[in-house]
Amino acid sequence: MDNSGKEKEAIQLMADADKKVKTSGSFLGGMFGGPHKVEEACEMYCRAANMFKMAKNWNAAGNAFCQAARIHMQLQNKHDSATSFIDAGNAFKKADPNEAIKCLNAAVDIYTDMGRFTIAAKHHITIAEIYESELVDIEKAIAHYEQAADYYKGEESNSSANKCLLKVGAYAAQLEQYAKAIEIYEQVGSSTMDNPLLKYSAKEYFFKASLCHFIVDELNAKLAVEKYEEMFPAFSDSRECKLLKKLLDAHEEQNCEAFTEAIKEFDSISRLDQWQTTMLLRIKKTIQGDEGDLK
Amino acid sequence: MSSNFEAYEQDFGTLTAEITNKIGRIPKLGGEEKTQLVLNVDKQLEEVRELMEQMDLEVRELPIQSRGMYQSRLKSYKGEMEKLEKDFKRSRIAYSDEVRNELLGEDAGSSESQRAHLLDNTEKLERSSRRLEAGYQIAVETEQVGQEILANLHTDREKIQRSRDRLRETDANLGKSSRILTGMLRRIIQNRVLVFVLGAIILITIILAIYFNVRGR
Repeated sequence: MDNSGKEKEAIQLMADADKKVKTSGSFLGGMFGGPHKVEEACEMYCRAANMFKMAKNWNAAGNAFCQAARIHMQLQNKHDSATSFIDAGNAFKKADPNEAIKCLNAAVDIYTDMGRFTIAAKHHITIAEIYESELVDIEKAIAHYEQAADYYKGEESNSSANKCLLKVGAYAAQLEQYAKAIEIYEQVGSSTMDNPLLKYSAKEYFFKASLCHFIVDELNAKLAVEKYEEMFPAFSDSRECKLLKKLLDAHEEQNCEAFTEAIKEFDSISRLDQWQTTMLLRIKKTIQGDEGDLK
Repeated sequence: MSSNFEAYEQDFGTLTAEITNKIGRIPKLGGEEKTQLVLNVDKQLEEVRELMEQMDLEVRELPIQSRGMYQSRLKSYKGEMEKLEKDFKRSRIAYSDEVRNELLGEDAGSSESQRAHLLDNTEKLERSSRRLEAGYQIAVETEQVGQEILANLHTDREKIQRSRDRLRETDANLGKSSRILTGMLRRIIQNRVLVFVLGAIILITIILAIYFNVRGR
């Protein structure tokens, strides 16, 4: 694989395509062979972009795809334009996240214009992931996830919507927007508990909701746990519920050791994940904070 | 006469006590001591037998009235002597705890062995409880994995349903477009026929016009 050779070829192709587009811009060109030329140019851009991808020159590839996309727009090929924008976004993902987001946003606009909400939602998720991982902008990530969840709800894909909502909930709780997180988890929990496929995950969602309640206020948590038990009897059998009750008791007595004991016991059987540990730590701090006040 | 008998009885008593004692000791000993003790007991048993015979003679010389009591006593003594002989025989081949202890290397205190036993059992219990806990952990993990799989399945189910609906739509659209195309084809054919017909008419008109012109001249 002679990558550098491919790159040179690709650059050559780009130059040719540029020329074609320019010549078709003039009046005569537009009259005689305009559309064909532009289409050819478009195709050449795509080929050049592919060659850049082979040579791993992501920036150039992204640029080429963007050019192709713009020409498609000119030709009123919305579908092709959106696809090219997506390709550009994928190429830029590896090099320049900001550019990627711009391209993906453009693509999403086209799709929503056409009424293809499912695909738009899928790409919202991709954008949110980029914000999550590369740019670490949690607020924007949450916004995109929410948008994706709404689109999915609109298209009656409740499972995918729930997946997005869960992420929104997790980040909201991390950013201390507990009311929102509680609402989301309760909603997801109640919608999954009837579904025979998903009911085994419902208890986890109720557990998370109770944790968020707990951070806000202990009394809330108690009421919430009772409410969930009423709604969903299987919840009371789960180990999570038992842990919650122990934690509530320990919190009432302001007993830090019992709290840690209960958590350690639960952890020895099934590890607590990162989000849960953070929440529990916050709750523990409130206990210790109260103790400090008492002293 | 009876005093003799009583003297014999006393002797009998002491002798039997000694013999029982020695018989008790025999299994524990071994080798030289054992053979000596065995010989000893043998001699004593002989003495006991002689005593019995003498007691028997004595009883016979007694007047018939008082014989009954003495005879019953004599019978019980005989029974005792036979039991002693049996015991003696058994003791010579008996196994004793001492020998066992020597063989298995345990010391005289059995409490030590019990302690080791108990520790062993506790360890086994602990091992089993650890294994149970590991098994429980695996079960919980399996449940979690199962949850994830179920959620994925649900998502996939919705995707498949959507694709199926879209396919049906596409199918309907394709049908429509195929009909439109056939319509277009028909119209094209019509148009072509019309063009030919019109062309033919024009041609005929021109020819007629030329013909009349030429005829008119």
